[in-house]
Amino acid sequence: MRVRPLVATFGLLAATLAQEPPHEGPRPVDPGWFALTGARIVQAPGNTIEGFTIVLRDGRITAVDRNAPPAGATVVDCTGLTIYPGLIDPFVPTDVPALDKTAADQHWNPAIQPQRHARDGALVPAADRAALRRLGFTTVACVPTGGNLKGTSCVVQLDEPSPTEPVRVVRDAVYQLASLQTSRGGYPSSQMGAVALLRQTLADADWYARCLATPGAAPQPRAALAALANPDQPLWFDVADELQALRAVAIAHEFRRRAVLVGSGMEFRRLAALAAARTPIVVPLQLPDAPDVGSAAAIERVSLRQLQSWEQAPTNSKRLLEASVEIAWTTARLRDRKDFPARVRDAMHCGVTADEALRALTVMPAGLLGIGGDAGTIERGKLANLVVVAGELFAEDGEVRDVWVGGRRHVIHEPKDRGLDGTWSWTAGWPRADATPVLTVDGDKVRCKVGDAELEATAVAREPGAVTFRLAGEALDGTQAHWLRLWREGTGLAGVRTAPDGTEHEVRATPSEAKADAAPAKKPRGERAPPPERSPLPTPLGGYGFVTPPPARDFVVAGATVWPCDGREPIRGGAVYVQGGRIAFVGVVRDLPNLPVDVVVVDGTGKHLTPGLIDCHSHTGIARGVNEGGQAVTAEVRVEDVVDPDDANWYRQLAGGVTCVNQLHGSANAIGGQSCTTKVRWGALHPDDMRFAGAPAGIKWALGENPRNANDSDRGSRYPATRMGVEALIRDRLAAAEAYAAERAAYEALDPTERARSSPPRRDLELDALAEVLAGTRRIHCHSYRQDEIFMLCGIAKEHGIRIGTFQHVLEGYKVADAIAEAAVGASSFSDWWGYKFEVWDAIPENGALLHAAGVNVSFNSDSDEHARRLNTEAGKAVKYGGLPPHEALCFVTRNPAIQLGIADRTGSIAPGLDADLALWSADPLSYAARCEATWVDGRQLFSLEADRAARTAIAAERQRLLQKVATTAKGKPAREGDPKDAYWAAEDLTGNYCCRDHAAGGVR
Amino acid sequence: MSRAPFRFPAALLATAVLTPAQDLLPKAPPQSRPVLLQNAVLHTVTGGVVLGGSLWFDGGVIREVLPADRQPTLPAGVEPLVLDLAGKHVFPGLVSACTTLGLVEIGMVPQSVDTDESGDFSPEAIAAVALNPDSAAIPIARSNGVLTAGTFPRGGLLPGRASVIRLDGWTNADLTVRAEAGVVVAWPANQAGRRFRRGPERGADGDEEPERGVRQQRQRIDAAFAAARAWLDARTADPTVPLDVRHEALIGALRGEVPVFLLAEEQEQIESAVRWAGERQLRAVVVGGRDAAQCALLLRERAVPVILNGVHRLPRRDDSDYDEAFTLPARLAAAGVKFCIGTGSDFSNDRNLPYHAATAVAYGLDETRALAAITQDAADILGVGDRLGSLAAGKEATLFVASGHPFELTTTIDVAFVQGRQVDLRNRQTELAKKYRERLRQLQSR
Repeated sequence: MRVRPLVATFGLLAATLAQEPPHEGPRPVDPGWFALTGARIVQAPGNTIEGFTIVLRDGRITAVDRNAPPAGATVVDCTGLTIYPGLIDPFVPTDVPALDKTAADQHWNPAIQPQRHARDGALVPAADRAALRRLGFTTVACVPTGGNLKGTSCVVQLDEPSPTEPVRVVRDAVYQLASLQTSRGGYPSSQMGAVALLRQTLADADWYARCLATPGAAPQPRAALAALANPDQPLWFDVADELQALRAVAIAHEFRRRAVLVGSGMEFRRLAALAAARTPIVVPLQLPDAPDVGSAAAIERVSLRQLQSWEQAPTNSKRLLEASVEIAWTTARLRDRKDFPARVRDAMHCGVTADEALRALTVMPAGLLGIGGDAGTIERGKLANLVVVAGELFAEDGEVRDVWVGGRRHVIHEPKDRGLDGTWSWTAGWPRADATPVLTVDGDKVRCKVGDAELEATAVAREPGAVTFRLAGEALDGTQAHWLRLWREGTGLAGVRTAPDGTEHEVRATPSEAKADAAPAKKPRGERAPPPERSPLPTPLGGYGFVTPPPARDFVVAGATVWPCDGREPIRGGAVYVQGGRIAFVGVVRDLPNLPVDVVVVDGTGKHLTPGLIDCHSHTGIARGVNEGGQAVTAEVRVEDVVDPDDANWYRQLAGGVTCVNQLHGSANAIGGQSCTTKVRWGALHPDDMRFAGAPAGIKWALGENPRNANDSDRGSRYPATRMGVEALIRDRLAAAEAYAAERAAYEALDPTERARSSPPRRDLELDALAEVLAGTRRIHCHSYRQDEIFMLCGIAKEHGIRIGTFQHVLEGYKVADAIAEAAVGASSFSDWWGYKFEVWDAIPENGALLHAAGVNVSFNSDSDEHARRLNTEAGKAVKYGGLPPHEALCFVTRNPAIQLGIADRTGSIAPGLDADLALWSADPLSYAARCEATWVDGRQLFSLEADRAARTAIAAERQRLLQKVATTAKGKPAREGDPKDAYWAAEDLTGNYCCRDHAAGGVR
Repeated sequence: MSRAPFRFPAALLATAVLTPAQDLLPKAPPQSRPVLLQNAVLHTVTGGVVLGGSLWFDGGVIREVLPADRQPTLPAGVEPLVLDLAGKHVFPGLVSACTTLGLVEIGMVPQSVDTDESGDFSPEAIAAVALNPDSAAIPIARSNGVLTAGTFPRGGLLPGRASVIRLDGWTNADLTVRAEAGVVVAWPANQAGRRFRRGPERGADGDEEPERGVRQQRQRIDAAFAAARAWLDARTADPTVPLDVRHEALIGALRGEVPVFLLAEEQEQIESAVRWAGERQLRAVVVGGRDAAQCALLLRERAVPVILNGVHRLPRRDDSDYDEAFTLPARLAAAGVKFCIGTGSDFSNDRNLPYHAATAVAYGLDETRALAAITQDAADILGVGDRLGSLAAGKEATLFVASGHPFELTTTIDVAFVQGRQVDLRNRQTELAKKYRERLRQLQSR
């Protein structure tokens, strides 16, 4: 399709005709000069004027004034109608051909195609153009689809192109579109991989721009990077859910790009964080389907979160507006674009005002697209984009009459012809003299009665100023049909009746005195159910979130058996005083310092108080893919980018006394992604708030069967396929990282003038992480089983002078405990898991105790959302298998993992100055008899049996209320199971997670 | 707690054969003289707790269980082995009701997995036939007091027949307590609403498919039983009707001699399975039972017992009680549903069976009831309750002596008997630990 820029001058035709093909025949001349009079004009949101005339010429508004229409303009009488600015949809995905894969200058990853351009695609297909215009849209931004960097957008008018008048472009290359989607089978296969790929590409673009600016550097031309080199071009993110939205904001911030989010419609679930992000959001209006409540079995599957999301989704826009988030609306993601007015009404029903709605469709998108000078309001000089409406735009009885696109009128709905309306008495032409029929015309409805007898008027057709129909009935002529054609003549009607015998008879009718038969009263539309309460929602949404987070109050637990986990045995009759979120005192009750009178006292009599438990191997709360399986080395991906604070397992783990976890990447890669040390701050407003600030960085590595793909049934040919290859790969990447670090150091060492003259080394996120490993600032947490591979890594570590963080699983660690003691901070194992695959054949439950005896710091971990809730009894197995003293066994899930993660000075034991991460147990915590009764993180009580009981009651009531509401009000096809956050976006098969326990579960199938 | 090592009299030790490679250990010969356990806490399960009681068995069978003040009536002329167990506890062997023990060696090595016969219908497969008596997993389960197991074929709609095995013996015949304990029926879950969204490109057309598929699968199961019934009637009337091993496999279930083990977790799944079994006049046992509490009315009315697939499970929904699975046994007990507790896991986790029951106790189940749930009730549900599951005269002498209650992690299992034969409580793992403790000792003595 050819495209012509729309030049913002009146010399439009002259300036561009030279490029057009010659006309066939005489040139058509269209003055394009109109005056729209008599209308109520909504010039801009909140500014309505009356008695003004809008003059359009050559596609622009040339006047909005009270003057008489200028001579020469075609006057369009808009009396009784309202004129709005043309609506703008800032996000219309369009098919653009993929780049030629064989071309030389391609990015290595096919998901990176920023050099694509919406112009090169189909733009808006004719059917969509018409559909959008019917809704009042005059202008849209088209964007390419597919991949992680998809290409640039193009703002076009919703015109009908012709050979001489191609699509009119309002503004070109407005924004670049990014997404965090994954690709099946390739890289990125996970959301965290997508984040890394975007970050690396943007870093490359910055680097490329610097190289271009460096004299004499002359980098190889890179079309993809060149397309991203303009830092002023906004970066829009097509996001799948509200958490991804926050991730996108972080990426844009890191690379100093102006971000706009194309949201999911579920932003209300993370309102506070999104409000704080101060990033405009293009909000789709699609609502989640009503959950399936068709049977008792079905309602068992519906979660409260799903019900709440269904109920609250219509409030999304209003909540965002109240939180001062700039929003524009889009028709994108609607299953059917025709639903748009209904969805707008839904939003308005929930409090969005007419002005706010109009703003989200005009001024806001115009601003986001940088076309505020051309569109968005009805002002002199702007494009003649107007919507003429009978009634209110989007009101149920509102009707779009005309849409003016660049001064061209598109008729959407003809006004009903009212010229024949009225009640008429036949004065001539009725076949029977004994009757005085009465004819009622109401628009395109015709009724005819003789006395009380109703005749049947069928095939009614209106033509301007005339009506034709067929008439039949007992009162007329039996059941035979007569054809009538009537028109207005003077004060009455005149016309012709064609009788069944073919004869024609003149008909006359005069206005009747008889009162028009009242049309059967329209069934009053059911009163709309009141909108859902717009009270603050819990974070996370669902049963156990907090509307207001629990306060960090000072408190004392007195009388409990306190397990300090600092080498000492439990203190009977102990007390712990927490002040300002930190432990202020630990000892026996009688040694307690004087406490403020208002301090909260928790009676610990008969109970046990331990440090909050630490899970040194967790995959909880990692959104959209635990493993970036697309490559064998993925040091560039970061778990911290995909922390999911909504995961209900956080809450469950709090109920098991867990306060801190090591969120690890999966084990499909010899060198995997960066881990995240996370505090279980359930209810955190932003995912980043869960991060353990100041904790040493970590990275997942993996040896043995998983990285060599041995357990993958459709095993590919990806390197490595043996333990030998794993070793070689690790050696190679460390060598690369060494060279990289040296190159960077050399560049940093240059003096400023020299540095300005040389192009900087390219930043490589993968090697950055490995350079940190070499520098000792990033801890390796290495998945391992067999002694040979453990030994191998110990050797490599020694060679590079690295101290390994932990060996994970390390089920044959007991065979080489001495080597581990020398090479690693610690070993993090399962208590007694075995049997699931060949390399764990020699696993023994005494592993922990034997390693401990050899002087290795040992922890027991879960690697499972379920086991994570029972870490205390996992530790108890170190007593059972190996006979550790109980207080040392408990350290396997408290102080020892804290040491392994480098956070022992902050958590993991109960000592003055440490964070008040605590768990209170009903009995000896190493016993299965123990229940966790309360858990504190940073001194905040995030779990207690009491609060849990209250939550259960509230959940039961809220579930029933919402189930009833769905059952009695929802229409349409019910939704299927699954979080509505996945509603718009393919949740790919995230295969190859390689969590050992997961594999074990599936292993025997 | 006292951790003083318990020492058995030399006489007993002499009967145990000590070799380092445990899985190559010879088995003890059949019991040749009476064994008297005295002065112990007897946890009989069916007869309460007897403090300072005594118990003796001979010929592999418990002869008397006696209170402190009664003397055993031992046969004359044979010198019994007497064990004074002051401070010790005696329990019947634990019963892991649903496992794959003996059929699997390494989960992810298909060649070592003998659970899944090909095709959807393989009721002819009998677990006892394929047991590996030398599986390394058997002594590992045994060392924590699990002395009996229900071992189940898996895969397909009728995976095969489950067998009850004892965890000691030379051959799989020795191991077999009951080869045909019941027909396993994997009753399909209704998939309604189970589709995870895959984005708009997957139209609504495919949506109905899963439900239809489930209906068809359930009909196919029913048809298999109908065909077997017809075959059985024909063959009974006319013995020349040829043998059909698949039909033959269902005879026990059709005659009510053995139950059908209905694998079902969800409410609709459980209820439809139980109703189906009722219509076919089959004895139903539900295996899984995640939603059994919601089905209490039907299960109680029809006296259908449940083998729970473990207590250590995650809740169903985000908003479910975090301890939903932990409290399930207590809720079933309160609702009057008969149940036992399994591990819900495979062959490698049977040793953790008592801890599932222990968790149920912490979350409301009566401790006696919890013990029964992994002994007598499990034996009953597997159809061997008359021979196993409690300390009572006439029952097999399959029991163990422990330092405390098996629900506690600190408890050690000191000695165990299967059919009166003392079994070795060491296993491949204990021997590996011993081996490498020696390496450590050598390193540290350098």
